[in-house]
Amino acid sequence: MGRQHRSRRRGRPAKGALMSRRHIRPDPGAGIALEHVRGRAPTIRPNVRRLAAFASVHSCPTAVVAFAARVDTNRVLAGTAAEMPYGQSPFAIGRGIAFEALLRRHGHAELRRVLTDGLGVDFSLAAIENLREGYQPNRTGLTLRASVTRTRMAEIASAPAEPIVLDGAVLRADIGGLPAFFEADEMAIGVGGEIIVGENKSWPVVDGRPTDEEALGAALDQAATYVLLGRRTLGEAGVDPGRVSGNAVLVTPRNTGLAPVLHRQNVDGRVRRVERLLRAVPEVSDIAAAIPLSVTFDRIADVSLPEEARFEAFAEVTDTLGRVYEPASCLTSCGFAWACRQCVFGAGDPAIAGGPVARALPGVASLGRVAELGRGAPASAAEAPAAVPIARAGRLYDEVMPASRPGDRRSA
Amino acid sequence: MSTALEALFAGRIYESGSAMRRTTLRHTHLADPPLGIAIWRLGGERFRAAAIAWGPLGGPFELAVAGEPRNRDLYFAALAPFAADLCLRVRRAAESKVARRRGQRTDLIPAGALQIVVPNRTTVAALGLLGRYLAYLSDRSGVAPDPALIEAGKHLRFYARHARMPGQALLLPLDRLVAEHWATLLSPFEQSNLAALDAQIEPPAGTHAFDASVAAEGLARIGPEPTEDIDRATDALLAEFNAARAGSTDPAVAEGLSRPLRDHYRRLVEPVWQLMARVVTREQRIPAAPSVHRRFEGDREAFGRHVDWVADGGRYRTTDTPRQAAMSLRRLEDALGRYDAEKAVEDMACMVPYLLDGDAVRGVVVSVNEHRVVVRVRAVPRALMTLDTDDPVVLPVNKKVWWTVTADDYPWEVQRVQPHGHGSRITLMLGASPTPARLPGAGDRVTLSALHTRPDAYRLSPPQQPPWTHRPATPPTPPEPIDSGDAEAPAAPVDGATLPDPGRYA
Repeated sequence: MGRQHRSRRRGRPAKGALMSRRHIRPDPGAGIALEHVRGRAPTIRPNVRRLAAFASVHSCPTAVVAFAARVDTNRVLAGTAAEMPYGQSPFAIGRGIAFEALLRRHGHAELRRVLTDGLGVDFSLAAIENLREGYQPNRTGLTLRASVTRTRMAEIASAPAEPIVLDGAVLRADIGGLPAFFEADEMAIGVGGEIIVGENKSWPVVDGRPTDEEALGAALDQAATYVLLGRRTLGEAGVDPGRVSGNAVLVTPRNTGLAPVLHRQNVDGRVRRVERLLRAVPEVSDIAAAIPLSVTFDRIADVSLPEEARFEAFAEVTDTLGRVYEPASCLTSCGFAWACRQCVFGAGDPAIAGGPVARALPGVASLGRVAELGRGAPASAAEAPAAVPIARAGRLYDEVMPASRPGDRRSA
Repeated sequence: MSTALEALFAGRIYESGSAMRRTTLRHTHLADPPLGIAIWRLGGERFRAAAIAWGPLGGPFELAVAGEPRNRDLYFAALAPFAADLCLRVRRAAESKVARRRGQRTDLIPAGALQIVVPNRTTVAALGLLGRYLAYLSDRSGVAPDPALIEAGKHLRFYARHARMPGQALLLPLDRLVAEHWATLLSPFEQSNLAALDAQIEPPAGTHAFDASVAAEGLARIGPEPTEDIDRATDALLAEFNAARAGSTDPAVAEGLSRPLRDHYRRLVEPVWQLMARVVTREQRIPAAPSVHRRFEGDREAFGRHVDWVADGGRYRTTDTPRQAAMSLRRLEDALGRYDAEKAVEDMACMVPYLLDGDAVRGVVVSVNEHRVVVRVRAVPRALMTLDTDDPVVLPVNKKVWWTVTADDYPWEVQRVQPHGHGSRITLMLGASPTPARLPGAGDRVTLSALHTRPDAYRLSPPQQPPWTHRPATPPTPPEPIDSGDAEAPAAPVDGATLPDPGRYA
């Protein structure tokens, strides 16, 4: 436990130091250092969902390093008991693909109809430029698509004529000092001089309400990211960024079929949140400079090693970097969550019970110690603020449940 | 929630290796046996129950498997036995009525109500969506849908809506029941897994609760949303089924061909069914709190109103008017406050968080004296109680607190708080004429809290016509069928491993 706390302190100042040096291009050494950190761990290209997931865990030093090194946390522990079930049903994926295909079918007829109905502007003759086709599915293709997106946005925003839709617009952003590309579903340009960001989702809306409220929140966060990046893109091109509307568009099926319907929702609040998040992403070069040489995800991802060896390697890395386990956010956003949970439990860390409980225990080293304080054990000076209410809770609980006194510990 | 108590629970569970009771009583009605329902959907298909299992819990279950649930004919044919059985059970439960007297008014309410238990809250939402789909079905080619499907849809919708009511017991998600009554090392997110909760409560001998729940979490498949591995297996079996039926929608043909799919879903349902039965049996052993009867009486009343409404061909709005929304919110908030208060007043274990947070005091009565006190203009008799508390308390003067024994009556008002020994000495005045039932005796150990169990009611009923600030631009649409797209060709399943970015379709 003590080892973990010390290591956490080692990790945190490094992250704080990273944030002070913005807009410095990473030196070549940083790339080499991050490559060493990655080792043979599977990688992932930054995208809007990865960014949203990182937003939930950005206070964790291990998650920060994994993000900077582009490590796919969902796949590093593949084949172990700690691999989290992030896979998706083939039916769910098929439904999503079918919905997008429906929008594009017959010259985007459904997309034109839904935009016309929903935005009150005639899209029946609008030019629809499909940037998903005709470009290589690699970094070069993305760079070209980003360039086309930027040009079209600037042209139309400066001299609005007929509406144009960019299907698969690509927006470029610097994340932690490294360029990243974000692929938006639609950008409807020239709607009353505005550019409107659109996102397609295949979950249905019934009676005006989403059938999955969490998915709605995630979709609006994605749209907000595109709004922010679209504004930055226009700003870089010397065009008023305010042309990108804060009212994003969601296109979803309505009721039991796939027939699309459009919803407009203001995401300005979310845009500000995404802006704060992007500012908080530390510089990759600073992270690379701060990581000890011993840190690498290579052994953790090595499927030829026994599971125990991979867990040991994970514990070593997270002990060195530090970890912040918060069940509510980690379990939904980070592929390391089950492994971290195991480490936290092994150490008796109060974090296993969640942030509110952990924050209520300043100075108390472990859950075992909490149990002792609950029985009225004398508290040290550091434990005193937390010890009084715990002792009282123990006394009151035992008073109403006399048989509640803990028995022998089984095996923690 | 008191963080000190939660920390204590975490510490003790860590040390002892098993979950702890949060309550000494059971605060939810449990029928013997309730009707269990477990469902599995196809991934991403919110309205398609690929399998529905139902039956009295503790016994064997019936299983409806459509084969291809995205085919309306096959789907409805498979759902028909479930719908007919549900309707029958609902009607039977509402047949026998008893008189319920309230003041001068006597109402006839059902003597019982059909209780449905499901593994988790996600199933409640899934049943609500299924109910919305079935409750308003349109004709196809001049053929009216099976009336039992429509009636079952209305029942499911009612149950899912009623499930929002705090303390209700008509539709019971077992994950919530267990989490309310047991403290575990699981976070709220993890508590949605009933198998993990159960494993922490009764871990295998020699296994710590944490290890048991980790193992259960990795193995258990609860539904209704399938995991990737389940739907990979379903995909292969469904492809075989569709190839074999060669476009036939004859239920007899489908029945014969769907055996592998039925076996697949039977294997998934069986452990869930056993788990649900085990959880309900364990909770049934705990004595019920006194107020459970009152809350279930409210459930029976709502159930009776619903059954009468449906029998008369009534339709429900699918979108609330502003007035309905305001009244519903008020009703839910009121029910929540009363449920929390009843739990704490009847069960001292539930009062502990309030004692820790300073919303309740506990101590020994030093004296109770009657005085005449001028209230407004007249001198009236009032009781003054002096109470020595175990711990120091901070209560503002004039704060109203209720003695737990008379929590549905008048409050006591704090007159003075002074330090006394290790605790405090509080002087309180009763806000009504003293009667023997309202007064504790000297030397009694009593608890007073800010909680009371009196039903709140509108002092003013909201206006029939809401003010312009609360009128929507367009009035809520009347209930309409949502099944217009259910004859579309099903989307072909796609393996995520073949896509560069499968997360796009999450």
